[in-house]
Amino acid sequence: MAVDELQAIIQRCQILEEADFKGEDFNLFLVAGQKCLEDGYAAQLLEVIQNEKNKVIIKNMGWNLISPLVRCIFLYEQGDDKREHCLKILDQLAQLCNPKELFLGLLEQIEQTSGEQVCQTVLLLLQPLQTVLLKLQNKKAYSVGLSLAMIMNQLTPLPVPYTKQQIQEDQFGLCRCCSAVVDFAKPFVNEVVKSMEKLPEYNDMELKEELVKFCMKSLKHPLLTAHLEQLEGIEEHPFRRFAAEIIDILWDIRELMPLVFLHRKGKSSHWENQEFADIEQQNVADSVACLSYLIFVHHFGIDSFPVVFSPSYLLQCNMTHIEVLLKRTEESVLSKGIDLFESCLLRMEDNSLLHQYLELRDFINVPQDLVKVMTLCPIEHMRQKSLSILQLFIDKFDAEGKYTLFKCLLKTSNHAGVEGYIIKNIKDQIHLSLTKECDNIWFTGHHLISLLDLVLSLPEGAETDLLQNSDRIMASLNLLRYLVIKDCESDNQTGVWTMLAKIEQNFLKPLHVGLNMSKAHYEAEIKSKKENRKEASNSNTICSLTISGEKMPAMTTEMQLQVLHSALFTFDLIESVLARVEELIEMKIKAAMNEDS
Amino acid sequence: MTTDEATKSEGEVQAAALAERGEDITPARDRGVLKIIKRPGSEDESPMIGDKVYVHYKGKLANGKKFDSSRDRNEPFVFSLGKGQVIKAWDIGVATMRKGEICYLLCKPEYAYGSAGSAPKIPSNATLFFEASKAGVELLDFKGEDLFEDGGIIRRIKRKGEGYSNPNEGATVEIHLEGFCGGTMFDCKDVKFIVGEGEDHDIPIGIDKALEKMQRGEHCVLYLGPRYGFGEAGKPKYGIQANAELVYEVTLKSFEKAKESWEMDTKEKLEQAAIVKEKGTTYFKEGKYLQAVIQYGKIVSWLEMEYGLSEKESKASDSFLLAAFLNLAMCYLKLREYTKAVECCDKALGLDQDNEKGLYRRGEARLLMNDFELAKCDFQKVLEVNPQNKAAKSQISICQRKTKEHNERDRRIYANMFTKFAERDAKVPAACFGPPELRVKDAGRVCDKKRWIKAKV
Repeated sequence: MAVDELQAIIQRCQILEEADFKGEDFNLFLVAGQKCLEDGYAAQLLEVIQNEKNKVIIKNMGWNLISPLVRCIFLYEQGDDKREHCLKILDQLAQLCNPKELFLGLLEQIEQTSGEQVCQTVLLLLQPLQTVLLKLQNKKAYSVGLSLAMIMNQLTPLPVPYTKQQIQEDQFGLCRCCSAVVDFAKPFVNEVVKSMEKLPEYNDMELKEELVKFCMKSLKHPLLTAHLEQLEGIEEHPFRRFAAEIIDILWDIRELMPLVFLHRKGKSSHWENQEFADIEQQNVADSVACLSYLIFVHHFGIDSFPVVFSPSYLLQCNMTHIEVLLKRTEESVLSKGIDLFESCLLRMEDNSLLHQYLELRDFINVPQDLVKVMTLCPIEHMRQKSLSILQLFIDKFDAEGKYTLFKCLLKTSNHAGVEGYIIKNIKDQIHLSLTKECDNIWFTGHHLISLLDLVLSLPEGAETDLLQNSDRIMASLNLLRYLVIKDCESDNQTGVWTMLAKIEQNFLKPLHVGLNMSKAHYEAEIKSKKENRKEASNSNTICSLTISGEKMPAMTTEMQLQVLHSALFTFDLIESVLARVEELIEMKIKAAMNEDS
Repeated sequence: MTTDEATKSEGEVQAAALAERGEDITPARDRGVLKIIKRPGSEDESPMIGDKVYVHYKGKLANGKKFDSSRDRNEPFVFSLGKGQVIKAWDIGVATMRKGEICYLLCKPEYAYGSAGSAPKIPSNATLFFEASKAGVELLDFKGEDLFEDGGIIRRIKRKGEGYSNPNEGATVEIHLEGFCGGTMFDCKDVKFIVGEGEDHDIPIGIDKALEKMQRGEHCVLYLGPRYGFGEAGKPKYGIQANAELVYEVTLKSFEKAKESWEMDTKEKLEQAAIVKEKGTTYFKEGKYLQAVIQYGKIVSWLEMEYGLSEKESKASDSFLLAAFLNLAMCYLKLREYTKAVECCDKALGLDQDNEKGLYRRGEARLLMNDFELAKCDFQKVLEVNPQNKAAKSQISICQRKTKEHNERDRRIYANMFTKFAERDAKVPAACFGPPELRVKDAGRVCDKKRWIKAKV
């Protein structure tokens, strides 16, 4: 039946001139063709299509069949003869049809697919789409760009496999699609390369631009999210391969170097709408950051990279990218930022980074972002890693750089633990200045005094929450103890003896007062807790604590007592170090007086 | 002997020759960078610090292994000389070259990648050798540094400054300057001023901008385009016409940096905000909008991200910010930067959603950007806040008139377009396609276009 109908319409059209095909002919052809496919007469349809006599008809009307054809292919099992016939039809259509119309037909199929069918459709249609694009005469660059954009947009929502098992399973086919898309793009890359070789001045700018856009999209997704470390047992890591291919493309069309080193300014603002311009700028920033990560951490494309840049310049260029990555919260992206930062720092020698770099905004912002990761990131190993990177960063600066960085971090971190860590670093630097012969003006004398002013004080005087700030206070006391032991009043290299009165006024005295108040308060609290122990156990809690949506169980009185005791213990600890420091100061002063007299 | 070995031993000979006869070109005379000229340059002139230089080169390790070659990339390597962009040996070496010169360089690790090396190609403590059988390092070309990559300010440094620190906006500088126009000197003086306020001393904005990239003691020549010079207004005092190109020779004798935002505490920021607000207003009244933008911008940079303020401080801070945003909006309107004007108004309205000036200025900016509907909304809101505002009333009628005019023009354009579409659609029958540009979506672009059309039709 269906075949007869098809034959009828075919015979009617065979005698017509191309220009005489009417709207209803198209309709009849579509209906009949579709019916053939649905009823399983794919082989017969193939014959009709292959028939030389029908060439003109297929050229004009064939594209209509794409949609039912794709639907059919998905219905049949792999290896089914009918499926094979359908695939052959697809192949024939790609050869025979009017490219412009078939192009739109294919693109429409890709656009309409979603969910688990995305991969299947993309893998199925890329080959014919490429064939058609290569045949297109007009607006080729635009069409290639449109195809690549459409495909990448369809791939974007697919989850990026992360573990080795996920990558091997490739459930949504993302890995396979990535590799297929690169093959799809290759002939167009070659075209650009050839045209550049022929006439270096003449560039197929349009096609090149489209390919750059494609690379940028791929860098953002899936590469920015993908896990790119080598995996044992996978010979060819699909994303590593994809990354290498993308970088090869950029290299071949000579866009790699400009992307990494010239910050493309003002080039992207062809949007009328500011919102879109911003989004695009953000996207470009993400992509370029990912590109730098691939080059500097994984050394993709490094073979063709100039090796005369100074390490500090490389760090400077990458700072923007690092900042972009560290601002993100996804582990996969954040860890790329940290790795990129580390790789740039490892290229440098200690103490070689000039303090003037701190005048660049990024050099101040990035350590602050790093502190945020250290204190707020829920993933422990990221917190630890970022702390070690911060130390590495500190180590690379010259003395004045360290000095400025410490000052900045003390003022901006708002975290007692970080402040304590910085204070410990300050102590190490003072130690270096005092023990080594090198003249270090930044951690002795008047420069140091202004730094000590910041360190040896209580943020809110006697009312400072000592428990909250215990890390910082302990570090400060340790530093003071070190200074008093190491630096004699007669030498006074560090200047600590000059500012002793001030230290007592701003730090030691309020600390005493604070300790007394806090201890009294906590002791009273413990006492009342103990007295009310029985009542409290059945009384309702006044407030509850919720952490990420889960209600924390109310603390028992025992637990509360434990916390209170441990607070008291901290106060005792602070007090004992404080006492020791004061004792030392007194001793030294007495000794000095004895010497004088 | 294979070719590989041949080049290797040739390389060794060259390296040995360099070590023996090479000229020590390090300032410290520590033989860290040795140079032999293979072909002298064609011209006498050497590049100056900060110049953009173009070189071809090939680099080898001590074992003869090539690690890099610009010729493999088929393009010369470009960098800014003397800025620490390249290894020390190169900043020193290329500065000694003349245009067209070819030379060999031997670089000790202290002048290259040191003990850290450069993964993956340069091992720790590597001596680098730049050579090739045909040419060593070849200096192809160089040109002055384009400070803002817009051709507006070209700098050539005559004497490099000390250190790397630059004055920032708001820094106090002491300079000597000589201004030339068409070959005649029109200004020559020693002057002390604050960066961003040069106008007070008849110094064009380009000098302020360039100073932020200069170092203490630097002596340079600056070529200013009209935008960075005295612009359309010219400078009658010096007899300078509109849109004149200027040349300045500037020596930065000394400077004291302004404090960075994080170095100031809230009290200081609030005190300073009052001062710069006054300054901004003075500039604004004199029509010096670029300078006014700098002053108001300071308030924003100090106070916009300031947290943990007391109630009183926060009130003061908000009132400064509001004034700054409103005044910035006004400046940008005058400077015809409407998007920025809208942004500032948005921020002002974020602080005070019924601010009459904010709404009015945003309306003005939007009107000038041809966003008539949005502009009209703004002016209507102005009237809600203050029904007596006559200017807003007349602006609304302007909006209505312009919308009408625009609609008519659009109708004419679209009438043509739709006929064309209709013709094309007739050709593509059955499951008919609309215009492909609109059907097949290129992500946001199409939505944008659709919204745009909807707004106007």
